[in-house]
Amino acid sequence: MARPSNFPPPFSARDYVTEPTDPADERIEVGVLVVGAGPAGLACAIRLGQLLEEHPEIAERLGEVPVAVLEKGKQPGSHLLSGAVVDPRALRRLFGERLRMEDLPSFGPVPGESVYVLTRRAALPIPPPPPMRNHGNWIFSLSQLGRFLAERAEEAGAMILPETAAQKLLVSHGRVMGVRTGDKGRSREGGELGNFEAGSDLVAKVTVLAEGTQGHLTGVALDRFGLRGVEPQVWELAVKEVWRVAKPLDRVIHTMGWPLRTGKRYREFGGSFIYPMGEDMVTIGLVVGLDYRDASLSVHDLLQELKTHPKIRKILAGGERVEWGAKTIPSGGFHSLPRELHAPGLLLCGDGVGMVNVPRLKGVHYAIESGRLAAEAAFRALQRGETPASSLSSYDDAVRDSFIWSDLYEVRNMRQVFGRGFFVGGTLAGAMTMSKGRVELGKMRAEPDADQPLLVTDRAATYPKPDGKLTFDKLSSVFASGNKTRDDQPNHIRIERRVPREVAQLWEHMCPAQVYEIGREDEDGTVLVELAPSNCVQCGAITAKGGRLTPPEGGSGPEYSAT
Amino acid sequence: MGMLVFLENHGGELQKGSLGVLAKAASLEDVAAVIAGEGARALAGEAATFGATKVWVCENAEVAQPLPQPLVDVLAKVVEEGRYETVLFANSVLAADVAAGLAARLDAGLNWDLVDLELRPAGDGKTELVGKRPALQDSVYADVGWTSTPRLALFRAGSFDPTRIGGGEPEIAEVSPTYAEHSTAVRLVGQDAEESSGPSIEDADVIVAGGRGLGSPDNFTLAEELAKALGGAVGATRAVVDAGWYPYSAQIGQTGKTVSPKLYVALGISGAIQHKVGMQSSGTIVAINKDANAPIFDFSDLGVVGDVHEIVPKLTELVRARRG
Repeated sequence: MARPSNFPPPFSARDYVTEPTDPADERIEVGVLVVGAGPAGLACAIRLGQLLEEHPEIAERLGEVPVAVLEKGKQPGSHLLSGAVVDPRALRRLFGERLRMEDLPSFGPVPGESVYVLTRRAALPIPPPPPMRNHGNWIFSLSQLGRFLAERAEEAGAMILPETAAQKLLVSHGRVMGVRTGDKGRSREGGELGNFEAGSDLVAKVTVLAEGTQGHLTGVALDRFGLRGVEPQVWELAVKEVWRVAKPLDRVIHTMGWPLRTGKRYREFGGSFIYPMGEDMVTIGLVVGLDYRDASLSVHDLLQELKTHPKIRKILAGGERVEWGAKTIPSGGFHSLPRELHAPGLLLCGDGVGMVNVPRLKGVHYAIESGRLAAEAAFRALQRGETPASSLSSYDDAVRDSFIWSDLYEVRNMRQVFGRGFFVGGTLAGAMTMSKGRVELGKMRAEPDADQPLLVTDRAATYPKPDGKLTFDKLSSVFASGNKTRDDQPNHIRIERRVPREVAQLWEHMCPAQVYEIGREDEDGTVLVELAPSNCVQCGAITAKGGRLTPPEGGSGPEYSAT
Repeated sequence: MGMLVFLENHGGELQKGSLGVLAKAASLEDVAAVIAGEGARALAGEAATFGATKVWVCENAEVAQPLPQPLVDVLAKVVEEGRYETVLFANSVLAADVAAGLAARLDAGLNWDLVDLELRPAGDGKTELVGKRPALQDSVYADVGWTSTPRLALFRAGSFDPTRIGGGEPEIAEVSPTYAEHSTAVRLVGQDAEESSGPSIEDADVIVAGGRGLGSPDNFTLAEELAKALGGAVGATRAVVDAGWYPYSAQIGQTGKTVSPKLYVALGISGAIQHKVGMQSSGTIVAINKDANAPIFDFSDLGVVGDVHEIVPKLTELVRARRG
């Protein structure tokens, strides 16, 4: 049976590590460089702003731009997508007395909750398992929260550089010096168009990678500095929609079961979430572990199928889809965390290193907390006026002392148990949470998602035919993500283009944005994979399943506003 | 005071888009035009036939080349001297730069990407100027206005037909501004024109566009032959451009060109929303596709369910025969 990992992409992390190449007087120098305007990066920039305000003499030393934040999307928030029911702990710590939760752009505290096990026609309510209880948590659009945090970061003195991709890691004498930004205005073949603009070297005293899931340079840095964790990272793919609805929803809903199959050989781990967003909007999403094996599985189409369930159809009745998006979630948990979260001149935060609590379906507060702690570690190093490796290791100590570490440790074997099939796994997961992680099951090996041998079923035949009202095809969904990426630019997706049919099928079905298509078949039975890279919403699933996403030209990709 | 329209000219020819805007403006009220560049004066008469009652001309050496900043100086001067309250542009690479530069110079509001303009009664016998702007990826039209004068507007290509409405001799005024130092800092090093046969897709009255339903790159000759017979241009969908069947310059849609010809013939095009937003404002849309469920039939004026390979050659023959 074919495994995607047998067909590795033409990609080498080494090609993305370089010495600074611009002449010294043309490099852009900043104090702390944060890559990624998401919850981690912006929390880092905000905390640095607070600290520099208290210590103007240090700010002085950092020059014209003490803190810069790079963002590859059109603006902060453009690439942010999450549930999102957020644990408010980290936001409260970040803002302290400065802001109350009520001052943030949220949809209020969780009003109530239900969990259902679904079958094709029925919905069986079950008491929410302990990790899924959400009393005291707040509902957000992460995209909107990102824009809000970006404004706070700018007020705190950070310079935000949108539409700028961090392409290469600058390393000199074993120390991270900053990043090189991507070129703009290249043609499909790589030539320079009329509006060509070469990337620049951005040099910093400390570089913080807060790139989120499947972070490009985070992956490069983990390889370059040998930081990969005990277990490989694994991911889930989430596809979600935002709906304007006729009737308000009065609680958050999670579902398990249908349309996923429970048979052990399928390895289909996941569920759905349906959250109210104020009086007239709801968000609905489906999350599926990318260790699934069926090459015809499409999370996008399963989400469409889910919406045809009588229970869910009722919630959406009379409504209209207003947005769509997709993103991966790192789900390896504790054992997949990097060995260390720092390297000389470098700090790693948030989803990029897999700070996600899968059974609790939460990660935003870990991202914010890690960004805050990274800011404090960077600041301590700057106070001492130097940044040797030893001075950044206090970040690792701080993370180990934080709730990030204790929370993730408690649920460390949760994901692995689901490999035993949903019901068995569910019971074990429950036992583990009830006992605060004291049930020791022995560490179970997590294989990389791309190592799962593929099987092919006729599942695709049962996906509902898009009606343009309740159910949608992939292309109109890409449109609803706001994606209008320039087509005439180099392909940013690295895959082996000649593969057995089932691998091509896997990519074609998996991709929620219709990037991959099966082309002509050769005599040896392999097929050519055709790509439409400008459809890509940068969810990162391809990196989990045998390819490698790199950043396209800055400003490309979706323009989420309510996800 | 009145309206002013920037008339873009290249190679001694006034551009169709800006003449369309001029004709539209003239249908609302008294309108003046600005023409800059070599031979500007000689073009004033033609501007009058599209409704300009007064033409400001500038033949300074500084505006001999199509660079935006010197034109900003010219327009700023004309707006000041003629006390114009409204300045209109037809979108182009050059006009977009000039409009933006002028907005910055005059600290004026610029409404971008408009497709229509009207005068609306505002009580007390007064009227107000209201623009129409497609929003939310062209799914709705928003009415837009201005909170101060001068009011600047840039219209989407092909929004108005250039209709000859006037005649007579226009009043001609020369303008020669003081050029700002930074305005003359840029020098045009060279200009190249892309080789093309037939009209460009932005200007064509007829577009024959091909999609993946054509089956292979060679079959694009079907579209080319029909376009030639109709005197039109050839367009393509993103899918076929992606597949390398046709050049990117012909791509119509969300990430390609937005067109509004009088006649749009879609061959083997399914009509994904990404394509639709680039051509939905065409006059008459004719679709030929063998899939009766293709979304394109939802927004076509005439739909033919059938095989393009059979129908198009016959159609081309008939068009040729009819046109002699």
